[in-house]
Amino acid sequence: MRLSSVIDDAAEVRRATSLIELGARLQVLESETRMSRERLLKLYKEIQGKSPPKGMLPFSTDWFVTWMPNIHASLFMAIYQTLIKSSALDDVEAIVKAYRLYLEQCRGNELLAELSVTRAWRLVRFVDAGMLKLASCTKCSGRFIVRDHDLTRHYVCGLCHMPSRAGHTKDPAKRLAH
Amino acid sequence: MKTEQLLDEIRDANLSYLVLAQHLIREDKAEALYRLGISEEVADVLEGLSTGQIVKIAAANLLMCRFRFDDAIVWNLLRSHARERGVAGAHAAILMAQALPQAA
Repeated sequence: MRLSSVIDDAAEVRRATSLIELGARLQVLESETRMSRERLLKLYKEIQGKSPPKGMLPFSTDWFVTWMPNIHASLFMAIYQTLIKSSALDDVEAIVKAYRLYLEQCRGNELLAELSVTRAWRLVRFVDAGMLKLASCTKCSGRFIVRDHDLTRHYVCGLCHMPSRAGHTKDPAKRLAH
Repeated sequence: MKTEQLLDEIRDANLSYLVLAQHLIREDKAEALYRLGISEEVADVLEGLSTGQIVKIAAANLLMCRFRFDDAIVWNLLRSHARERGVAGAHAAILMAQALPQAA
């Protein structure tokens, strides 16, 4: 689509730039900006110094309800919803800001940021579409991501009731080395 | 003598808090609301305070900042020495982000 105003165009480039800097995949950019694919590719290469990864985006809601990803997804969502409710941000601005704050929280707690910005964006879309929702834990009253059809009346979150093998994954750095 | 010293300390804390709050709000308001846990109306007032006004407000005998979390669960998670230290921190972070007044 042709953009009529230079200022609008600059805003679109800024929007795309902040998403690329956080590591968003091309599909996210194509859906959230009005820039052409060619310009997005060029911008991506300029910022990341390489071509964007190819292939489909992860499309399943299952990942978000496994133990560790669920903690990360629920944390991101808590920040995102607070920003959306307290300020007049559009959802992409809120995703970018919430994702930066989420990264800060991970650093502060010495956790690896398991949620990529692309997954974070998917998460927001899944919640918008009603495929994922938030349920309140009956113990800590925190709100956690669950699937649309999950029963939530007696819901207890994965942190109040830790599965016995929780967190016993190999160090991801070592996992990559092998 | 002792009270005087305490009042001085309160004034110093108020001053740092108000200056920091104003700095955060001017830098990025949306983020500041999250970090400070205040409403947009209060943020607008703080943003517009002059240095003179800040100094005057800071000299009150009450602290202008307060503990944000009344929930004992949050405090227990924050002070935990559990094996899964980072996970407890993330748990606390989830509860804290949801406890902000405007998120109700």
